[in-house]
Amino acid sequence: MLSKIVKPGLTRRTFLQSTAAAATASSLPRLAHAQNNVIRIGFLAPLTGAVAAWGKPGLDGCQIWAERVNAAGGIQLSDGAYQVEFVAYDNEYDPAKARTGATKLIREDGVSFIMMLGGDTWPGVQPVADRTGMLFSTLLPSDLSPDTTTLIAPAEVHPIYNVTGVEWLAETRPELKTAVMCAQDDALGLPSVATYLAAFEAAGIEMQDDPLLFDPATTDFAPVVTRLMSSNPDIVCLDTCYSDYVHPICEQLFQQGYEGQIISCTADFYDQIIAKTSKEFMEGFLFQFPDFDDPALNSDQVNFDDPNGFFAEFNKRYPGQWGAVSWEYAAIMDLWKAAAEKAGSAEPDAVIAAMKEGGTGKHAFGDARWWGTELFGIDNALVGDWPVVAIENGKATIKEFRSIPAWYDKHGDLLVKHMQAYDQMWDQR
Amino acid sequence: MRSVIFIVLGACALLALPHGLSFSQQEILVFLTINILLVSSYRLLTLTGEWSLAHVVIMGVGAYASALYSKELGVWVPVSILLGGATAALMAVLLSFPLFRMKGFYFLIGSFAAGEIIRLLWKRFRDPFGGPKGIKGIEPMPDFSIGIYDFDFFEPVSYYYLSGVVVAVCLWLLWRIERSPVGLTFHAVHWQDKLAEASGVNLRAYRTLAFAIASGFAGIGGGLMAHYVGTINPNSFDVDLMVYVLTWAIVGGTGTFYGPILGCVVLTVLNEIVLRELGFEQMRPLIYGLIMILSILFLPKGLESIVQHLATRRSEKGVKDRRAAE
Repeated sequence: MLSKIVKPGLTRRTFLQSTAAAATASSLPRLAHAQNNVIRIGFLAPLTGAVAAWGKPGLDGCQIWAERVNAAGGIQLSDGAYQVEFVAYDNEYDPAKARTGATKLIREDGVSFIMMLGGDTWPGVQPVADRTGMLFSTLLPSDLSPDTTTLIAPAEVHPIYNVTGVEWLAETRPELKTAVMCAQDDALGLPSVATYLAAFEAAGIEMQDDPLLFDPATTDFAPVVTRLMSSNPDIVCLDTCYSDYVHPICEQLFQQGYEGQIISCTADFYDQIIAKTSKEFMEGFLFQFPDFDDPALNSDQVNFDDPNGFFAEFNKRYPGQWGAVSWEYAAIMDLWKAAAEKAGSAEPDAVIAAMKEGGTGKHAFGDARWWGTELFGIDNALVGDWPVVAIENGKATIKEFRSIPAWYDKHGDLLVKHMQAYDQMWDQR
Repeated sequence: MRSVIFIVLGACALLALPHGLSFSQQEILVFLTINILLVSSYRLLTLTGEWSLAHVVIMGVGAYASALYSKELGVWVPVSILLGGATAALMAVLLSFPLFRMKGFYFLIGSFAAGEIIRLLWKRFRDPFGGPKGIKGIEPMPDFSIGIYDFDFFEPVSYYYLSGVVVAVCLWLLWRIERSPVGLTFHAVHWQDKLAEASGVNLRAYRTLAFAIASGFAGIGGGLMAHYVGTINPNSFDVDLMVYVLTWAIVGGTGTFYGPILGCVVLTVLNEIVLRELGFEQMRPLIYGLIMILSILFLPKGLESIVQHLATRRSEKGVKDRRAAE
């Protein structure tokens, strides 16, 4: 009998009971929030350390998003309007701290949804997600697997969208025939390597050498760049390098006299790269993440509300901090808000059902479909169009939106082949 | 009799401790308990005068070994944790051949290089180490019941009790070793190495012994960590964590057995609970660094010097009181 009373096992029911009890018994401020109809959203990402550039700007973007939504009346659920509030936990990109953070957000802060960067931190959180049934989002669909049905990738289908940049480049500059690539040897770099290899093969661009995988602790990129340039390639591909690598690699390419095409997944803080190199050197640099003051984002297909105003407000508050993730977590919140309002509830089960109803969803860059069984073992990635961005006259400019599913329908077998070669398929991970 | 009462009261306090904490603080308590073993084992190595930068990687050796023994060979998790410790100790013995050809600063740099080589091997060989992504889905500690309490090791309270018992036993062993003739020899190797050598002490053998023992206990800590979090990767054991271990040892002080433990507890509570609760989430590295600088400036002998000062004052007061009574 006593063992029943003191049994510590966490089931969905005990989780809900303990959360409610904790909120009631130990947190009067939270009770006040509940009475004021506040929905809490967890933000579990690196806010300090080497990977903070893919967490902190996202949180800043979410604060702007929350202010806008709250000013417009909040989130309309079946029992009334709710204000939204973000609760952040810095996981320092460490799985153990991510586990602690998930526990805090779910069992103490009573959040309804948790957004993560994912990657190395997800395996630490996965048991918590499985036990509690909490809805999580990741920016890295390579975290997806059939084991966890409550993990979704609704904003960024990294690294699959990289195919759009290569496809556009091959069509607009057919004279470019050879490429080399470098990437950090980690969970972010490897699936991206496989994707770029598939995209180059589909585009008929020859790889002059095997991808050069460098250790994530690398700080001196001179030898890396020297080796890349040794075969005199038409294209240098920087894969999905962190901004701490993209900047010094570009500097080295500039200093060592490279004059060809550069393609990269990201170019966070590209104004700083231009300052370290030159406007002429960076002209035509191709990547995948637009500035949100781009006029192309005002087209009807884009589902992100007032992107230009969002960008202006972000830059006013955090000058020089705009990056790849500044809008992504906010875009996820757009989807979550729409689904919660459709379901009339913030309950994870109801929200995910509403979100995936009909197999389609409104991605920031246009209508998209829930997809991924072949690559991820589960249709929990929202995939549609993605922009191809080039630096022109020192400014990121959207060149075109391209369809990821259309590319995959034509060349999916190549992607699967290269993903398998790098052990990146969901059943190999 | 008084010491027995203190021990019983302390044990009761440690048993009750998690029930006074929030859920996330219980999680932090688990990692704190494991880190106490890590930093205490590190102190044993420092007794011989050598400061290693590979201790966290050696902990990782224990973690990887324990994870692989249980996952690939089906070894029962508690046994695999012990085998992980043994593997870490064995690795230390192997490393001692090149490393103990060096001393002092050269040993420090050599140990850093050795640690990085091990980490690179984990990254390079996807089979069996999982490459940069490491090992996921590590077997958890099997749940069991003792009648009045069901141990569910997903829960931090259960895992705290388990790791608390393991760490307590390890600390007792470390304490006994330090006070044994072997421990005294470790001190002699540090402070009177020429004299010890002249007395027939094999300095290199004793340094190797301290390195192996310290590594064995660090490996057990790694095993405990791996089977709780369920995933490990090479970045989990990088130089950042090693800097934390050094900080705990330096801020706490290495003159006493409890010094590094004090440093570990105080700095972890400060970094993971106090600064987060005060809303300094993103400024923690800055404040943490500032506190470290201040503590080195104003407490050069570590936090243990405060305890020693208070203990001295208390005993002096006791002597005065007794004299006054006489």
